[in-house]
Amino acid sequence: MAEPVAAAASGGGLPQLDVAQWPGQIVWMLVIFAILYVLFAKVFVPRVGGTIDQREDKIAGDIGAARRLRDAAQADAVAAAGEMAQARARAQKLAVDAQGEAKAAAAGRQAEEDVKLNATLQVAEARIAAARADAMAHVKAIGLETAQAIIARLTGVAADAGEVERALTRAQP
Amino acid sequence: MAGIQPMEQFLIHHVVEGPKFSAPGIGIIDLSITNSVLFMLIGTVIIGTFFMLSAKRALVPGRAQALAEMLYGMIDEVLTGGIIGDRGRPFLPFIFTLFMLIAILNLIGLAPGGFTVTSQLAVTGTLAVLTFATVLVVGFARNGLGFFKLFWPSGMHWGMALFLMPIEMLSFLIRPFTLALRLFGNMLGGHVVVYIFASFVIGLGAYGLSGFGLNTLGLLGSGLSFVMVVALTGLDFVIAIIQAFVWSALACVYLNEVVNLDHGH
Repeated sequence: MAEPVAAAASGGGLPQLDVAQWPGQIVWMLVIFAILYVLFAKVFVPRVGGTIDQREDKIAGDIGAARRLRDAAQADAVAAAGEMAQARARAQKLAVDAQGEAKAAAAGRQAEEDVKLNATLQVAEARIAAARADAMAHVKAIGLETAQAIIARLTGVAADAGEVERALTRAQP
Repeated sequence: MAGIQPMEQFLIHHVVEGPKFSAPGIGIIDLSITNSVLFMLIGTVIIGTFFMLSAKRALVPGRAQALAEMLYGMIDEVLTGGIIGDRGRPFLPFIFTLFMLIAILNLIGLAPGGFTVTSQLAVTGTLAVLTFATVLVVGFARNGLGFFKLFWPSGMHWGMALFLMPIEMLSFLIRPFTLALRLFGNMLGGHVVVYIFASFVIGLGAYGLSGFGLNTLGLLGSGLSFVMVVALTGLDFVIAIIQAFVWSALACVYLNEVVNLDHGH
C-alpha cells in the first residue's frame, strides 16, 4: 500500500493507529453500545417480536375459527339434507294417505248415492206399480163402460152392469 | 500528485471540546466529541428513531414496520435461531444491536462527507472485545469450568487431542483480532480505493484538458475511473451490509459453541 502523505499529520502510518485517539473512542463506543443494547433489549425487540407473535396468534386463531365454522356449516348441511329427505318422505306419505282417503271418501259417497238411488228407484218402481195397478183398475172400469156403450149401440138396450162385469171378469186371461 | 491524501479521511479531529480524564495506566481519556464520536451518535439516533417510529403494533404493517419486522425475522430465524437454535433467543437483542450498529455505521460512512466510524481500529477493536467478552462470560456462566471442554477435540486419541489443544486455544483467542481486523480492513480498503479512483477522475481529467493529442486519452481514463468509482461505491454498499452480517453470524457461531457445549460437540 502506498504510504499516505497525510500520515505525517498523525505521526506516521495509518491515522487509526494513533493510540492517543483510542481511549475516547472506546469509551464512547461502549456507552453508545450500552444505550443501544438497553433500547433493543427493553423496547425494540419485545415490541417487534410481540407484534409478530401477536399476528401469528391472530392468524392461527382466525384459521382455527374459520375451520370450526366450516365444519359447523358442513354438519348443518348434512342435517339439512337429512331433514329434507325426511320431509320429502313425510310429504310422499301424506300424498299417498290423502289419495287413499279421497278414494275411500269417493267410494263412501258412491255407496251412499247408490243407496239413495236404489231407494228412489224402489219408490219410483212402487209408484209405477201402483200406477199400473191403478191403471189396470181403471182399464176394467173403462172396459166395462166401453162394453156397455158397445152393447147399448148394437142392441139398443142398456146392458146390466153386473152382467157385463162378470162377463169381463170371465174373459180376462 | 502530492495533493492525494487517501488517509486524510480517517483523521480524527475535534468537533466539540469535552472533558479529559487522566486514568492511571491508560493515559488521557479525551471525551471530546470528535468526528468519529459525532457519527457514532448520528448512527445511534438513526437506529433509535427508525425503531421508535417503526416498532408499532399494527396488525397489518406499514413499510417501516415491515422493514423492522423483516430485520427482526432475519436476525431471529437466520442468526440466533438458525445458528444457535432454541437457546439463541436471549442473545437476540445483543446480535440485533451489533448488526444494526455496524450496518448503520458502515452505511453512513458511505454518505458524501460522512465519517466511517467502523474504519477506526479502536472502534472495531472495542466491538470485537465486547463480542469476545460476551462469549467468555456466557461460556463460563453456562458451563463453569466445563467451558474448557471447548478446547478438547472430541472423538480423538488423547495424544492427538493434547497436541491439538493449543491450536484450538490459539484459534479461540485470536478471534477478537480477526473480528476487529476484518471489518477495519474492509472499510479502510473500500474507502481508500474509492478515494484513489476519485483522484484519478480529477487528475486524469485535468491532464486531458491541459492539451490536445495524447493528453485527450486522459479524459478516457478519467471517465473509466468515474465508472469505477460508481461501481465500487455500489460494491461498498453491499460490503457494508455483508460485513455487519458476517460479524453478527460469527458472534452467533461463537455463542453457539459455548451455549450448546453440552450437546453436539
